[in-house]
Amino acid sequence: MDAVTSAPARIILICSGKGGVGKTTLTANLGIALARLGERTVVLDADFGLRNLDLLLGLENRIVYTAQEVLAETCRLEQALVKHKQEPNLALLPAGNPRMLEWLTPEDMQRIVAMVAERADYVLIDCPAGIEDGFKNAAAAAREAIVITTPEVSAVRDADRVIGLLNTRGVAPVQLVLNRVRPRMMASQEMLGVDDVTDILALPLVGLVVEDEQVIVSTNRGEPLTLNGNGSPAAKAYQNIARRLRGEDIPLEDPSKARKGLRARLMNKIRKTTGLF
Amino acid sequence: MAAALIQAVDDRQPHLLRLPVQQGSASALEEVRYALGSRHIRAGSVVLEAGRWPLRLPELRQLQELLAPLRLDLIRVAGDHPETLVAAAALGLEIDPGPPQTIAAPAPAVVASDLLVHRGTLRSGDHLQAEGSVLLLGDVNPGARISAAGNVLVWGRLRGIAHAGVAGDRNARIVALQLRPLQLRIADMVARGPEGLPPPGLAEQALLVDGEIRIDPAAPDFSG
Repeated sequence: MDAVTSAPARIILICSGKGGVGKTTLTANLGIALARLGERTVVLDADFGLRNLDLLLGLENRIVYTAQEVLAETCRLEQALVKHKQEPNLALLPAGNPRMLEWLTPEDMQRIVAMVAERADYVLIDCPAGIEDGFKNAAAAAREAIVITTPEVSAVRDADRVIGLLNTRGVAPVQLVLNRVRPRMMASQEMLGVDDVTDILALPLVGLVVEDEQVIVSTNRGEPLTLNGNGSPAAKAYQNIARRLRGEDIPLEDPSKARKGLRARLMNKIRKTTGLF
Repeated sequence: MAAALIQAVDDRQPHLLRLPVQQGSASALEEVRYALGSRHIRAGSVVLEAGRWPLRLPELRQLQELLAPLRLDLIRVAGDHPETLVAAAALGLEIDPGPPQTIAAPAPAVVASDLLVHRGTLRSGDHLQAEGSVLLLGDVNPGARISAAGNVLVWGRLRGIAHAGVAGDRNARIVALQLRPLQLRIADMVARGPEGLPPPGLAEQALLVDGEIRIDPAAPDFSG
């Protein structure tokens, strides 16, 4: 790869407020997807108290140094960056050791991100849950953000709070990913609909990820879905998010409506070919 | 502020020609000439809102002559000044004396002094407080709070918690384009918000009636 740097790196915070809605999964999958599109991508695990981005990427056993050592100048940045085996465009930088909760300050974060940004096109920061110090540290260095939420009132409420905090910090643009969408429940209005969520959060939607068992499988295996490109719906959604981030115009479809359309189309086809009803 | 010409949106409505509050030495005709400028205006009828300007017969004639080449036809004159109305009637125009008491003049002075205007949506966790009344141009999301010693006016959807009359003013009210708060408070009274969606396109207000918070369609004459 050319050492010539063109545009400055995009530094994107991935956050949600509530835990367990899919920040880390999105970071891992988006990282792989962007790397596959040829972008030099660094994923930074800012959730160093309970870090698990390395698990999802299958890189746990290859971590030797962390950002902590880089800042203390006991190692070089290249040594701390863990390159992904199958996807050399992607590197992981763990923020620190789980036992050292005290050391990281927003200034540290800004320094390390600035170093990483020199050699990357995309820096994805996996934010810890909550809105306390962990969030403040992670947000300190971010220029833009993706807020991920699920169609549940509690997740939407927390996301709303986080968006408010991001706005006061001047992080922009902030985009939205709606995760774990169950089209059938949405269509029958047992679940918050896409419109209900965007209505409250009022953010541009950059992706809709349907509930997909493959996500659980891939998480446990340490191979993000976007890596083997097995065409599962969630993998497709993550790839689309990556392409939309790069500015490609890929239309978003509301799956609760798309499904209806598909069924109607199928019924039509049956009707035509059989002439039954 | 100069005169304003508000064009009709379709052929059936007349254009609206509104004279500014009278000040300085400019005559009504100069104001109108300035408002018309070199704009292209669709031919049609015009209603003049003269406000407090005293317009006499010759002035109205001149105005008609000014409008004629543009194929604009003065049909009605609304205003407060009796002289204007008499002159308009003499020319065979419709007249509209307007509301007996001016609402526009005293109200803004009072409102402007203690009205906090905030633009933007209040998100969960935010709390906007005002010493007087507050006008929010945006939504109040669930989990957000808005409170004021005076009235709470929301030009948007109110879905959080609103508290009017924080200091105990039992005449304070809460007005919103969509009034579906989690909780409403006026002075020391508390009420849960109504359930279900309101009829669309209807602003609502909450106020204390006999010690209880009641929600009604917002009165159109409401002014802060």
